[in-house]
Amino acid sequence: MLGNFEYTRIRSIDEGCRALADAKEAGAVLAGGTDLLVEIRNGLKSPKLLVDCKALDDLHVLDTSPEKTTIGASVTLNRLIENRTFRGHYPALADALESIGTYQLRNRATVSGNICNGSPAADSAPVLLVLDATVHVHGVGGPRVIPIADFFAGVKRTALNPDEIVTSITLPVNAGRRTSFLKQQRIKGHDLAVVNAAGAYDPETREVRLAIGSCAPTPVLLDPIPMDVSDLAASINHAVSLVQRSVSPISDVRASAGYRNAVLPVLVTRILRELLDPGGEA
Amino acid sequence: MTHDIVFTVNGNPERASVPATMTLLDLLRDRLALTGTKEGCGIGECGACTVLLNGKPITACLMLAVEADGQAIETIEGEAVGGELSVLQQSFIDAGATQCGFCTPGMIMSAHGLLLRSPSPSHDEIVEAIAGNLCRCTGYEAIIAAIRLAADRLGGEPHDA
Repeated sequence: MLGNFEYTRIRSIDEGCRALADAKEAGAVLAGGTDLLVEIRNGLKSPKLLVDCKALDDLHVLDTSPEKTTIGASVTLNRLIENRTFRGHYPALADALESIGTYQLRNRATVSGNICNGSPAADSAPVLLVLDATVHVHGVGGPRVIPIADFFAGVKRTALNPDEIVTSITLPVNAGRRTSFLKQQRIKGHDLAVVNAAGAYDPETREVRLAIGSCAPTPVLLDPIPMDVSDLAASINHAVSLVQRSVSPISDVRASAGYRNAVLPVLVTRILRELLDPGGEA
Repeated sequence: MTHDIVFTVNGNPERASVPATMTLLDLLRDRLALTGTKEGCGIGECGACTVLLNGKPITACLMLAVEADGQAIETIEGEAVGGELSVLQQSFIDAGATQCGFCTPGMIMSAHGLLLRSPSPSHDEIVEAIAGNLCRCTGYEAIIAAIRLAADRLGGEPHDA
């Protein structure tokens, strides 16, 4: 037995929002449950009501249309990882999702759950940030959209109101941009990131977007950085220094602040070399 | 408050009235007496409680019993049919892939899920498929060999217990 809560399987999104509103701050949305049920078991969370949205067909939609990709909130990580069209469009995101947990866990876990959990180490977050994802949510007052850059509010905190449910995440077309994700972890396999990072390079604008996880209270997205491909080393050094000024790593159970500060430039340099000099000597 | 659920386990229709806080693992072990599925860590890290949910491996400790409503669950008890071991079970024996045996049910269910989606898996696919199943005895090599052996014996046909 886990904790002390009631459970409701909602038949409409409005029903879920009302149930969450009625539960005040004591409601929680149950998606894959791979974070929530662990936190309940460990006593870190004690919701009084779990709202299960998995009976809503709309939330299972995975649509890779030419204009944008829509990832319904109930779409599991393995559905994305094993979808060739999705991997073709967003290889770095597929890599990031594949780095999460175990195969069994990825059959339950969702991207929406990954971001709603609000962990600074969320592995989907850096890639969603550099891809300019949009989070679609629904509350008692109706729907609204939250740019992913505004979604993370602090450690285990998001921009969601207590009555709001994420319904989907949309991604713009990634044509022409190169993307990369890297993660430093203690062991290969199910471990959270010591540092994770993603980059997206647009050869047309010659700008790179970088996002860093596990090095601040939230995943951090940097402003676009112009890259001079004729002097790659200088551009990379400049980008690394910008990254270092944007983060504030701490020591915790997984690594010391010093280790994170040492690893971060290595990951960022590898990402930039991969994006700007693919096949080079990186 | 309890929830009335209808589901199948190893093809058999089941009904249960379960509290919200009961896990699928507790339902299997404590209500249905299917104790082949083990509890190791209880937080989805060791894989001892791996079962198939609609043909896909999941950890039963991280799923609520009430979420099983309308779903098809397969456990290690469904592997042997009519007292005859499944190809996977026989392969684990023949390859010497079990020692204390605690991880074995979960290993076999993970392997079963793998052979359903990838009947002729590569070495890397096998390793990834059981990366969420911890074994403290064997060192994994014999387990990988057992899954390879089962895939060969099935001749590329999807594993169907």
